[in-house]
Amino acid sequence: MSQDVNQSASTSSISTKLIAGAILGLSVGLIGLFQGLQSGDKAPFLGWLWGCSFWLSIAIGMLMLIMIFRVFNSRWSPVVRRQQEHALSAFPWLALCFVPLLLVAWLGKDHSGILWSWVNPESNTVEVSSVISVADDVLHQKKAGYLNLNFFTIRLIGYFAIFCGISHWLRKVSFSQDKDGDPNWTHLGTKVSAIGIPAAALALTFGAFDLFMSLEYQWFSTMYGVWFFASGMRAALAVTILVCLYLVSTGSLKGLFKQAHKYDLACLSLTFTIFWAYVSFSQYFLIYSANIPEETFWYTIREINPNTGEISGWFWVSMGLIFGHFFFPFLYLLFYRNKVDSPKLIFIVCWILAFHLLDLYWNIIPGREIVPGAFVGFEAREVFGSHLFWGIFTLIGVGCLSAWAVVRSFQSGVAEIVPIRDPRILDSINHHE
Amino acid sequence: MSEVMDIKYAAAATFDSAKDLYDAAGKVREKGYKNWECFSPIPVHGLDAQMGYPRSKVPRFTLAGGFTGFFTGMLIVWFMNEFDYPLIVGGKPYFSPIYPFPVFYELTILFAAFGTLFGMFFLNRLPQHNHPVFEHPDFGRTGDDQYMIVIEVEDPLFDDEETLSFLESVGGESVQIIREPID
Repeated sequence: MSQDVNQSASTSSISTKLIAGAILGLSVGLIGLFQGLQSGDKAPFLGWLWGCSFWLSIAIGMLMLIMIFRVFNSRWSPVVRRQQEHALSAFPWLALCFVPLLLVAWLGKDHSGILWSWVNPESNTVEVSSVISVADDVLHQKKAGYLNLNFFTIRLIGYFAIFCGISHWLRKVSFSQDKDGDPNWTHLGTKVSAIGIPAAALALTFGAFDLFMSLEYQWFSTMYGVWFFASGMRAALAVTILVCLYLVSTGSLKGLFKQAHKYDLACLSLTFTIFWAYVSFSQYFLIYSANIPEETFWYTIREINPNTGEISGWFWVSMGLIFGHFFFPFLYLLFYRNKVDSPKLIFIVCWILAFHLLDLYWNIIPGREIVPGAFVGFEAREVFGSHLFWGIFTLIGVGCLSAWAVVRSFQSGVAEIVPIRDPRILDSINHHE
Repeated sequence: MSEVMDIKYAAAATFDSAKDLYDAAGKVREKGYKNWECFSPIPVHGLDAQMGYPRSKVPRFTLAGGFTGFFTGMLIVWFMNEFDYPLIVGGKPYFSPIYPFPVFYELTILFAAFGTLFGMFFLNRLPQHNHPVFEHPDFGRTGDDQYMIVIEVEDPLFDDEETLSFLESVGGESVQIIREPID
């Protein structure tokens, strides 16, 4: 009894801390947005987008994993799946975090195109080292049917409606089965997932196009959505492993989450490490081979200073991604012991999460800043800058908010620690290598 | 001298259920036998751990094959395009790790697969067209409804009488010595 009291006291203090962290982080982030809007500084907006995207990618990865487990009717996963279902409760809050960016696009007047320049046809852009307005840019004219604020807003609402809707159903299906044990919930879950996978895949693909790729709207890559999917899967698997191992250490999942689950999750991490590299490399490879300026500038500003041709700080970030986000985790995860020894596994999943953050940073932050008098008309944004400062606060704020929603779901008693009446639960509990 | 010559190969005992086999295998391992094997018509989960088997060494061959393939690919491209016959193709450098990367990784996969397959053959001493254990009259039933433990003569702990009585003591039936005839 006293233990229960202690436990509820400690969880409420965790919730309080998370709320405090969310308020602190998001307030500072919002102050940044406000200042940015006043002064026309893009940095806080990029930071905000970066901070939100990290948590969004994790939630999307969780969503995809649950649906994949369901359509494949996988036997080993229910113990793991339940923990991921709690994570889905972050989606509505993540949607809320994107509202400030949308509000600025609608109400920002002269600065409405501060983050996505195409939002405001009056804003400036660069074409072959001369500065023109977006409205005059033929690359925007051809894309205006897609890249306009009305359609963008509808799409953004659509994406989050899909994410939140599928999440709602997946949670309902799973949690209801805890209560009545009806196997039809499993069938319904499979159907929801079969419809949900293409829906969520389209939403995350076009979401990545709209939120990240359109930052430099002249550039395009059909691989981009797949890259975002692969990244999200890696991050979601890493967080899943951390959450499950944490729950084993607190005793909730002790004896239920076995070495075989750990091994399989680590194998999936290895798979998506390779998949991430495959997608990222293919994108680079095709652009490198075709060598069209319209596409290559995106990589150029991530390698060199476009005015001097010297290697810039982004070059080292790029190299860091190749070796730190692919080669190291790939070689590390090849070894069996590294996949089943908890401390070794925790190390590499934290490593992957850190590099995932860097990968998003590398994708979102670099861009062309118009500088009158510069040789090519613009300067590439630096690696370090106020975007990092504001981004870290947003990262903490959105993270605390999402974590609060997830902890609340865990503590609400809406579900058992594992889906006790899932038809596959015994297979999952007795899972072995 | 027309008598049939044979070589003593092993002591064998049969079991009626997977559980009996599993329990007996644990006792054989505890006794300290090294050169022995279990035969079962179905996969018995956890039997390899019960027998004290370490993890397979095949992945080492896979890794070695993969690295060999990667550097072979690199060497091919470097030798042909940079060293032996420098040729500009599509404005790309003579040698770079980027444009020929598909070659590197295809060869990595190919050689890793070779490493896996031939490593497995090597470790299992395949191909092996006959095996002395086939001489046991009940061996065919280990593909149907019978389980079997075989302790080889080569095992340092092997002793004609002691091993047979040990196999009986762990619940083995029709305990006997397998002999391999030689012509």
